[in-house]
Amino acid sequence: MSNFHIQLINQFFEISHKIEERKEVSLFERNFARIKTIFEEEGYIIQDPTNENYNDARTDCEANFVGKVSTKMVIKKTIKPIIYKKLDNTLTLVQKAVVFVESK
Amino acid sequence: MKPVNFGIDLGTTNSLIAKFENGKVQVYKNPIGQKETLASVVAYRLERILIGDKAREYLTKDAINVFSGFKRKMGTDEKFYVVNIDENVTPVELSTLVLKELKKFVPPTDYVASAVITIPASFDSMQSNATLNAGKEAGFKEVFLLQEPIAACLAFFNDDTFGPHQSTGNWIVYDLGGGTFDVALVNQMEDQLKIVDHEGNNFLGGMDFDFAIIDKIIIPAIIQQTGIENFEEELRDKHGKYEMLFYQIMYYAEEAKKELSQAQITAIDFSAILDDKKYDFYIEIKKEDVDEIFLPLVNQTLQLLHRVLENNKLKTDDINAIILVGGSTYLPIVREQLSLQTGITLNYTIDPTTSVAVGAAHYAANKFYEPSIAEKEITTHNIVNELLAGLAVEQLNLNIDLNYSRSSRGTEELLLIKVSGEYEHKTYRITRLDGGFDTGFVDLKAKKTEFLPLIPGINNLFDFNIYDNNNNEISYLKKEITINQGTYNIDGQPLPHDICIEVDDIENKTTKMEAIFTRNSLLPQKRTLYRELSKTIKKGSDDCITINILEGDKNSRPSSNLTIGCIQISGKDLQTDLLKGSDIEIQIHLTDSRVLKTQVFLVMTQQEFNNVFSISEKQINISRLKEQYNILENELINTIKEFQYNDDDIWEIHATSLLNELESLKTNLFKLKDKDKSDEKYVIAEKITRISKQYDKLGGNERITTMIEEYFNYKEIVMTAIETVDFEKEDLRKSFLKIEQSESGFIQSKNISVIENKMKQLNDLYWRALGNNISFLISRFTEYKSYEQSYFKDYRAANTIMKMADTSLQNEKYPEFRRHVYSISNLLNRAKENNIIDFKGTGIG
Repeated sequence: MSNFHIQLINQFFEISHKIEERKEVSLFERNFARIKTIFEEEGYIIQDPTNENYNDARTDCEANFVGKVSTKMVIKKTIKPIIYKKLDNTLTLVQKAVVFVESK
Repeated sequence: MKPVNFGIDLGTTNSLIAKFENGKVQVYKNPIGQKETLASVVAYRLERILIGDKAREYLTKDAINVFSGFKRKMGTDEKFYVVNIDENVTPVELSTLVLKELKKFVPPTDYVASAVITIPASFDSMQSNATLNAGKEAGFKEVFLLQEPIAACLAFFNDDTFGPHQSTGNWIVYDLGGGTFDVALVNQMEDQLKIVDHEGNNFLGGMDFDFAIIDKIIIPAIIQQTGIENFEEELRDKHGKYEMLFYQIMYYAEEAKKELSQAQITAIDFSAILDDKKYDFYIEIKKEDVDEIFLPLVNQTLQLLHRVLENNKLKTDDINAIILVGGSTYLPIVREQLSLQTGITLNYTIDPTTSVAVGAAHYAANKFYEPSIAEKEITTHNIVNELLAGLAVEQLNLNIDLNYSRSSRGTEELLLIKVSGEYEHKTYRITRLDGGFDTGFVDLKAKKTEFLPLIPGINNLFDFNIYDNNNNEISYLKKEITINQGTYNIDGQPLPHDICIEVDDIENKTTKMEAIFTRNSLLPQKRTLYRELSKTIKKGSDDCITINILEGDKNSRPSSNLTIGCIQISGKDLQTDLLKGSDIEIQIHLTDSRVLKTQVFLVMTQQEFNNVFSISEKQINISRLKEQYNILENELINTIKEFQYNDDDIWEIHATSLLNELESLKTNLFKLKDKDKSDEKYVIAEKITRISKQYDKLGGNERITTMIEEYFNYKEIVMTAIETVDFEKEDLRKSFLKIEQSESGFIQSKNISVIENKMKQLNDLYWRALGNNISFLISRFTEYKSYEQSYFKDYRAANTIMKMADTSLQNEKYPEFRRHVYSISNLLNRAKENNIIDFKGTGIG
């Protein structure tokens, strides 16, 4: 069941990004907020790390480095989001984000 | 002597750890990321050492400081120079780090004293001894080695689903991993397994299949769509302009390969900007196309397999089965061609990814070691760890001071680490317990800072561990760090009470509290609730939806709390009818200065209603107050009856006095009109709230304790009833589990109405279970047949169904029989229950 939810979240994430790219997001904003809440009520926390800083300690991301590796890096693109699952008040990382990272 | 029980697959690409316990093998998951496999990669970054998947990320970008595949160099005198630390490291040292990391997969309650470590069939004595040394360096008391193909066979032979197997003969272990391929001929004679021969290719594995998809399908499709002439050349350029696209394609190729293991067709769908032009790519990939391009690679493995057979003068008929090992054996083409070209039975009942570790754990169950004195004396393993660590570092003069704020509103929090004493050659490591953050091993210094990333709105828990120069954990120095994100802050005020919305509990004909913001949440707070309407509101009617926002205790009944905002949307406000089940979105915003703002959106009519309330003004809705009165009165009457039945005289007197007090308000309350401007409504509301609160506490702890005991007794009965049902067992179990999971919450609430509601849920479940038990249904049916005509609303119809039920029962068509019994039950004249009130509710489900 959990894997089914994760696949569903990934598809939702991909659809919302495609719509965002086409600048039609306002049409679906209410629906997106609703879907996100449904997942949250099931105990999932979904995070899009795009534009966040990246460093070695971020085990919530599976990084693909574009260009040279440096000490100051930023997440440029996210293919899959970070997903945590809350169970009995314990949070567990159930999917690492798949990201592309570049030097700042 | 104690059994070793732990088995380790120390792989070239990935490693795993498993434990044999009570006849079963458990493969441990990495607490960081919950994966069973650990990448056998070590990265020496500028300040820290990374082991596993995180290290692998740097493999292509920082090759001089990142090491993989070192297993192949075990037993050689080769050393790797690490630029970042200006030192040489050996394959044994790197393997030791991987083994130590694997030990961290095992929870502190299980102590890993000794282990079985697997080695390739091709390993010579030097390589085997080097592995043994790595095991010792990793802190294992005893290390036993086991060849990987034998481990796979053991997993296969011990697999319950496989059943009895031939006790003698030859087996082929076909191991196609992420980057390597091995094939071994294993002979079994009188319970002895022996590797007779093996072949392998260290540069053939799953990644080669991904590259085949990129080369033969994706690149040609992109060139065809874009017309970019030198695209392939540019794509392969290490620092070329299409570098990000290359990694993206690699990811999609692997995903497509996985999907085609289960489907006949898949598609890669992505956008990219190439030479300032945006392209949308949609590349359809069929299984038959990838099969064609994978075939040459599969044939390479088959050539090696045939070579093993030829070298040993064996025919395919001489082999009992081929045991599949390694993640790439999931590929259908691999299985199809192995079957087609050899005709040998394939076995993939065991998980190819974990089979070597599982087999090693089975082997470990029959290997023994002499436990240390400390381990013998103390059975709780985490204590052993601590004791051993404590003994080792007892003389250490090391003081660690951690400074950080225990609450934060930011996305990260600064940790200042101050160390004094003997900190040289020691490292620390900080991990966030959800698995999203891991510093790796960092050298201890007198002063050090780390930025700890925080997940919003929760308690972020971190472990701070210290390691000695051999990377062994010094347990007694372990510290826990807890940072509450967004809950407390000196700049904002925390909520003194829960803020809730009153929603309908249709089944129990009452309303209940649902928390919107919990006590101590920091202001401002904003949240959107999504609910369905629990009744239809006709356009133009007086019927209405009530959005009642309350302040108080989320576990109490609504009437015991203070209403801080009440909105009524009546049929007169509607543009069209509002149907039961349609969606309502309620956005609630509580500002810094505790002004409550609400926005209600009716999805069906697309209408929006905005309200702002000042919490200094009491909000009383008269019709809602009347219904709250009815609910409370009804509950009190029922409780008094219950007390009478149980001879709880004192509680009965208290309850009766509360009921009398409540009923004294009735005349004045029901005289009030909805638009009454007098203060009377405030006076009555306050009295009802007070009575309700007293009712919540009626009987005190003694009553709560009795109810909790009753709950647990009843729970046992319901559980037994569920286990004996003939239909819908799984559904009933799930419902039972749902109640059980909320148990700690409602028991801790110590609130009578909450516990009562749970009992009602349990009772409903009990009757559902009985309704799915054939014996019960038969006894019910026999009883119905004995009823007189006057017991039924329509006796003729009931009689016809009874005959049908008889036939179903005779023919043992039980689902049909059950349906008929339900239908008869619906035709019964039920005595009107006297406690049913005309429940209107809030309209919010």
